[in-house]
Amino acid sequence: MRIKTVNVTRKYRIGPSEITAVNKVNMEIGEAKFIAIIGPSGSGKSTLLNIIGLNDYPTSGKLFIDNEDAAKWPSSLRRKTRLRRMGFVFQTFNLLPTLNALENVELPMALAGKTRKEQRKKAVQLLEAVGLSERLFHRPKELSIGEMQRVAIARALANEPEIIIADEPTGELDSKTAKEIIGLLLDINRKNKTAVVVATHDEKIVEAADETYMLKDGELMLKRLK
Amino acid sequence: MLCIIGVALAATFVVAVGATTTRYMTVIKEMNVLFSGQVMVVSKNAIVIQAIPITRGMLQEKLAEELEENFPEIEKAVPVLFVTPSIYFGGNIFPVPENFSIGVPVENWRMVLGPTPLKGGVGHFPTSDSSNEIVIGGSLAEQYDLTVGDILKIQGYDLEIVGVLDTKMAVLNRCMLMSLKLAQKIYNYQGSVNIIAVKPVQGYPQQNLSKTIEERVKYVSVLTEEDRNDIIQPILAQIETWNLGIQSVVFVMSLILVMTVTIMSVSERRRDFATLDAIGAPLSYVFRAVLLETVIIGVLGGAFGIIFGSLVSLVLASLYTNIPLHLIFPSVFEIVPPLYMLQIFTAIVIVCCLGGIIPAINATKIRVAETLRAEY
Repeated sequence: MRIKTVNVTRKYRIGPSEITAVNKVNMEIGEAKFIAIIGPSGSGKSTLLNIIGLNDYPTSGKLFIDNEDAAKWPSSLRRKTRLRRMGFVFQTFNLLPTLNALENVELPMALAGKTRKEQRKKAVQLLEAVGLSERLFHRPKELSIGEMQRVAIARALANEPEIIIADEPTGELDSKTAKEIIGLLLDINRKNKTAVVVATHDEKIVEAADETYMLKDGELMLKRLK
Repeated sequence: MLCIIGVALAATFVVAVGATTTRYMTVIKEMNVLFSGQVMVVSKNAIVIQAIPITRGMLQEKLAEELEENFPEIEKAVPVLFVTPSIYFGGNIFPVPENFSIGVPVENWRMVLGPTPLKGGVGHFPTSDSSNEIVIGGSLAEQYDLTVGDILKIQGYDLEIVGVLDTKMAVLNRCMLMSLKLAQKIYNYQGSVNIIAVKPVQGYPQQNLSKTIEERVKYVSVLTEEDRNDIIQPILAQIETWNLGIQSVVFVMSLILVMTVTIMSVSERRRDFATLDAIGAPLSYVFRAVLLETVIIGVLGGAFGIIFGSLVSLVLASLYTNIPLHLIFPSVFEIVPPLYMLQIFTAIVIVCCLGGIIPAINATKIRVAETLRAEY
């Protein structure tokens, strides 16, 4: 999957004032790249990830996915793309509290129409891969925050996505756990050739990334190429 | 959980009210079957529900003979004494007698009972006007553990049970059937009756006979089957309307309850629905997930409600008929028919399903970008 933004701008209206969260952003996400987006809080990182992840529409500018204008895609195709070709990791994990670890990982596969047997087999494999083979049947509230983020990563990988979009995945974690999660994301990028786009403040992620972009007041500048 | 309890209470109320009133209406309609094809001559003062005079107004027994003699349109006229607790002991008027006595001249059982048999074919109907023999309803026999050959003491008289009626009719199930003379003696109504059941000659219209008798015997009312139904029909119609009104209000309240609780529940779980949106769950999946929750509320609430409602109906039936609960319990499906249970269950599930539509639509409109933006 190749993603390209051309002059992408996103504005919000809050009361009488208009806020430009993302301003004329041009960037490309190549296949199997590990990209970090850094910037202070409120700089528009999450908004940009939402647009790239088809969870939001740009106010102006274009978003191309494999050279197709994704803004013109119908809602169903955008959902299908999110489900089958993208994986999402959130700062606050966003696991469904009523489901256990295994069921949380199975959910995207169930939505994609995989059989119960396939779902179970793959979910167990993924949870083993993130080191949670002993916690399969635990609900999120019974897991540590590090374990919850591992489950979230396993869930993001469930449908073998071409890109993982992670919004401050280590933001809630202590440094040791954060290091493990970064290692996990790097592993996925290197072994599976899955592109990873991470919005972060974490220097360790920046060091590991192929490309690092800096967002400031909604404007993007390339900070560093490895 | 609270929502399930709320729906269960609503279903309980609907079942209890609906089953009890329906049961009463069935019993009242059943009464007319007793004198099918006959007109009822009663005193003008009598208050009659269907074929049964509930209170006031007596007639001379000999009027039956006079009618037979003077009206060639009459094939047979039978004097009958119905003694209900309200007539004899005073007190409230019950549309369904708790238990009561019917006195009929011994040669005329079939005029009142039709083809009702005796349980197990054991025993016989009272054979002589001078005997102390009685036949009792199956429900009474069961309640007081009475059988053929037992002696029952009523008003200081020892009465011998010579048969037990085998019938599903509530009225007959609760009656003591005896000769007219015996009934008059026990209850001090010598020479008096409160009904004369009149069978017109073959093909003669009941309406015409009624007019003819009323023209010539001024102190009686003559009720045809149609008249009897006309008396009760508006009351039954009103009861049915009230019943329907109560059910509608309860269903609307359930709908509002389910809708409000589910809207709040969806609102509390915005983040979960936002997550489903982010991972690309189809809108139909989100819609169905919310609707399924309300259907589950309906199924559980409906099931519990029907169980509790049936129990309440049994308790009410027991209170109104004086039949102990353990004896009424086996008749649960007569008091709350399975079809009625199914109707209420279906209605509750549909109401809950409808209550889930707006919250389900709300859930499909939750977007991850807006939700997370609001959070951070």
